[in-house]
Amino acid sequence: MSVRINLPPTLHSFTNNQAVVEVNGSTVGECLNELVRQFPRIKPMLLDKKGRLLNYVDIYVNYESAYPEELAKPVKDGDELYITLIIAGG
Amino acid sequence: MLTRDEQERYDRQIIIRGFGLGGQDKLKKARVFIAGAGGLGSPVATYLTAAGVGVIRIVDHDSVELSNLNRQVLHWEGDIGKRKVNSATEKLRKLNREVKIEAIEEMITEANVSQLVAGFDLIVDAMDNMPTRYLLNKVAIEKTIPLFHGVVHGFEGRAMTIIPGETACLWCVYRGAIPEEKFPVIGVTPAVIGCIQATEVIKYIVGIGQLLTNKLLIYDGLNMKFTEFRLKKNPNCQHCGEPARSKK
Repeated sequence: MSVRINLPPTLHSFTNNQAVVEVNGSTVGECLNELVRQFPRIKPMLLDKKGRLLNYVDIYVNYESAYPEELAKPVKDGDELYITLIIAGG
Repeated sequence: MLTRDEQERYDRQIIIRGFGLGGQDKLKKARVFIAGAGGLGSPVATYLTAAGVGVIRIVDHDSVELSNLNRQVLHWEGDIGKRKVNSATEKLRKLNREVKIEAIEEMITEANVSQLVAGFDLIVDAMDNMPTRYLLNKVAIEKTIPLFHGVVHGFEGRAMTIIPGETACLWCVYRGAIPEEKFPVIGVTPAVIGCIQATEVIKYIVGIGQLLTNKLLIYDGLNMKFTEFRLKKNPNCQHCGEPARSKK
C-alpha cells in the first residue's frame, strides 16, 4: 500500500531534499520503518533507541492527529502522512 | 457606551459587517492577559491596543537585550536594559491612551499563575518555552478562560485556540518534555503568528467568524504555506479529560 510521507523542511536534508517520500505500510509505524530503511540517517530525528517516537515528533494522517499511539495507527493506500516537529519559541 | 472620539477612532473596524458599535463595545469591556512581552507579545499587544481592548495585563520578567531587537518590535535601541513590560507599556500607552495597560514584572510560575490571570477574560500565550505554556493551559482549563496559543521557530509558526471544556487543549496532544534550546527566529514569523493570535482574540470577543479550535494551524514561511491539521479532545488528557475531572 502506497502512502506519501510529507516531511517538514528541517528534515529535508535527511531525505536528499525530498519533501515527500512514498513508502509502503499498513500502519504509521511500518511507514516510518520504511522511511528509515530508505534514509537511515533520519532515524535518530524521529525515533529513540527503543523505536518509540521522540517527544517532539507529531504525526498526522490525512490532516488528522494520529496521537496517541501513533505508530499503531492503520493507514491505507493513498493516505497522506505528515510529520511535523513540535517547536517552542515565542 | 462609546464616546464620540472612540466611534471616530474605530470607525474602520466598526463598519466591518457583523462588528458594529456592539462589537467595539465588547472589545472595550474585555480584559486580556498576555503572557510574554517578546516576539509574539509585541504584535499581539500592539494590535489589541490599537483595536481598543479595554484592559491588557502584560507579564514578563526579562529585560531588553540587543539580541531581542530583530523580532521584539515593541522594544527599541534606547530600551536596552529596561524591563520589557515597562518598555512595552510606554509604547502601548502612546499608541492608545484609552486602553488600560497593566505591566507586571514577574516570572509566571505554578505558585502565581492562578492569581495573575484572575479576573481576566482571555489568556494569550506569547511565551518562549513549553513548561510555562503548560501552566497557562492548566490554569485556563481550571478557570474556564479561553487560551490563544502561538509558537515560533525560524520561519515556522503554529497557532491554535482553546475553549476550555469544549475543544482540544495543549495537553491533549502532549507526549512529554522536549529539549530546551536557543531557538532560531526571524522577526516576521512572530509577526505573522502574533497577528493570527490577535485576530482570534478579536473574533472571540466580538463573536464573529470561525475560530482555530480543534485545529492546529502551521505556517511555513519558507514555502509560504499554511496547513491546518485537525485535533481531537483526548478523553485521557491530564488537564481537560477524565483524569483531571476525577481529581476535583
